[in-house]
Amino acid sequence: MPVNLTRNAISMINSGDVNSRPLVQVVDIKLIGNSQERYRFLLSDSESTQHAMLATQLNEQVRSGRVKKGSIIQLIDYICSTVQNRRIIVVLNMETIIPEYEIIGNPKVITGSEPETNKPMPNNNLEPSVRSTNNRYGAQAPANNTQSFRPTIQPAYQPPPNYKIQGPIMKNEAPARIIPIAALNPYQGRWAIKARVTAKGDLRRYNNARGDGKVFSFDLLDSDGGEIRVTCFNAVVDRFYTVIEVGKVYLISKGSLKPAKKNFNHLKNEWEIFLESNSTVELCSDEDGSIPRQQFSFRPISEIESAENDSILDVIGIVISVNPSVPILRKNGMETQRRILNLKDASGKSVEVTLWGDFCNKEGQKLQEMVDSGVFPVLAVKAGKVNDFNGKSIGTISSTQLFIDPDGPEAQGLRNWFESGGRNTASISISREIMPGGSKNEIRKTLAQIKEEGLGRSDKPDWVTAKASVVFIKTDNFCYTACPLMIGDRQCNKKVTQSSNKRWLCDRCNQEFEECDYRYLLQVQIQDHTGLTWVTAFQEAGEDILGCLAKEMYLLKYELQDDTRFGEIIRSRLFHQYLFRLKIKEELYGDEQRVKITVVKVDNVNYTAESRYLLDTVTKKIPIKKQF
Amino acid sequence: MDISSPAAFVNGGLLRMHVGRKVRTVLQVIRSDIASVMGKSTDGFQVVAKGSPPVPLTSYVEVIGVAENENTIRAELWTNFGDTFDGSNYDQLCRLANGEFKHLFL
Repeated sequence: MPVNLTRNAISMINSGDVNSRPLVQVVDIKLIGNSQERYRFLLSDSESTQHAMLATQLNEQVRSGRVKKGSIIQLIDYICSTVQNRRIIVVLNMETIIPEYEIIGNPKVITGSEPETNKPMPNNNLEPSVRSTNNRYGAQAPANNTQSFRPTIQPAYQPPPNYKIQGPIMKNEAPARIIPIAALNPYQGRWAIKARVTAKGDLRRYNNARGDGKVFSFDLLDSDGGEIRVTCFNAVVDRFYTVIEVGKVYLISKGSLKPAKKNFNHLKNEWEIFLESNSTVELCSDEDGSIPRQQFSFRPISEIESAENDSILDVIGIVISVNPSVPILRKNGMETQRRILNLKDASGKSVEVTLWGDFCNKEGQKLQEMVDSGVFPVLAVKAGKVNDFNGKSIGTISSTQLFIDPDGPEAQGLRNWFESGGRNTASISISREIMPGGSKNEIRKTLAQIKEEGLGRSDKPDWVTAKASVVFIKTDNFCYTACPLMIGDRQCNKKVTQSSNKRWLCDRCNQEFEECDYRYLLQVQIQDHTGLTWVTAFQEAGEDILGCLAKEMYLLKYELQDDTRFGEIIRSRLFHQYLFRLKIKEELYGDEQRVKITVVKVDNVNYTAESRYLLDTVTKKIPIKKQF
Repeated sequence: MDISSPAAFVNGGLLRMHVGRKVRTVLQVIRSDIASVMGKSTDGFQVVAKGSPPVPLTSYVEVIGVAENENTIRAELWTNFGDTFDGSNYDQLCRLANGEFKHLFL
């Protein structure tokens, strides 16, 4: 498979570009150094060469033969410095792409600006399958037969032929052919794409080991539906940030292709374009109707119920309710806004959509006004994230886009459905339930089954109901001192410590106060006819089990020191039978995995309902729907 | 009362299978007087329980006694079962106790 090294890689590195992660070839390796084992590479981009020192942590790669003379490597982390009036590259991290390969091209030591040699047209369908090993063949075999490819592979390495470039040199100025975004790959020769900007990110400044920098990204969509993200750093940002506008079509060429960062980039493309100093971005003034404005792949809300947690998807629905913005304290201590709204579609299901940050004030505010005035708008969400904390819901992330009343057949179809009856059909929410499944499909298990069936061992918690009796309540540390302050619509509840002046201090709220709250953290043993197990009960469940407030028990035991009365209360609560709703999940405690069972709800046994349940199980008609 | 043999759980329809033997059933009180109670069984039949009902009498009462014929019980033990009772559960219990699971009861 013919290989293209990154063009002008050597001169790019020499001029300070240490971000492009180019593909180069190791023409020579020399072991140098008196006391230390140091390797010096001679790197080539098929035209020019440059010495590079290998960082010692990579020495093993040379010793083991993973990289050798002729290897094609990708420089990942590298710097370029001047040593004794010469530019030397230091390679801090690299990856061998092809361990053995013929020397490509006609590399010579860089002296100054070199005229470009003539390159033929790019191959449309070249696959980036350069990970094949054992590539000793000399004749090139193009991937397909439609295009001839650059004849740069020589059968065996020979000293550079003794010809000089003489005569007039013509640089190939012909514009590169426009290819579909889906065909872009790093081993492409010249390419150009024509695409519309569907999203433009903010300008961000950062500071890392190499200094300060700035970056911004934008997303492109072409007429074949291909999408790709484009990123610009530092000086390139200044060139293009004001030029790029969402909705406009551009002709872009001469960027470098690198693997996409999947945790930030949710477009369906394994590559990302990085624009450089020689990249070109041209606004296409003639409107190209063949390129859609946005590309969606909407999922019906009923499908979201089975979507994986943290997956990214598009959804469209009618907004049926919008809640006001509330300030929320995030884990990193920063405050942000949150708004919850509900979306309904023709699948008979509805879902909660959580807007974060700016979305609350912009689109969120607009939607609130619309719903308040009796209008039910269509909302399309592109790149929302699935959250499975309370049933399934969708949350916005930084790359989410919201479209109110968009054009398009899906929006129109939704509107028609809503107006002709959809408005009045009840939808089942896939989000509202604290306990997934709710009362419709409760799973009843015996305590022995929890262990036998290995519940809680998968990556999602298991929610079951068990009928059992309380047989033991641990009285040490049955509650903790909690922060009573409110954060948004919820109480902070973080454990607080007592400061020297007998006041309570909360680290999260950063405040001191006189009185703290007391909340249950009960360890309880429950038992049924099959076995027994420990469970943890928090506030509400604790109150149900003990029948009084944590504060009352705390005062009784520690302030009044009335152990008699305390013991009486505890004993009086033993051997009551309840229906426990349990959340079962395996968690890491230090080094070992332990199954932790939390009581989410405590219900008294309703004898009529329970009798019916038992009768049904006896007659083997275990109900799918409870009829209570 | 001779409590050595268990009383069979019956509803109205099953009473005839145990004539002359000890039975127990729950009746919804329709009419009561000093010497008997007219009740409705859980499967809708009218059954008379002879004897002295408790005072006061709740809407549902369990009687244990000897079945005289297919719609009369000479009650010896009366227990108030309150005003709310799920008849269908009890009815199914009677069916199971006389059918599939008879061996567990008698």
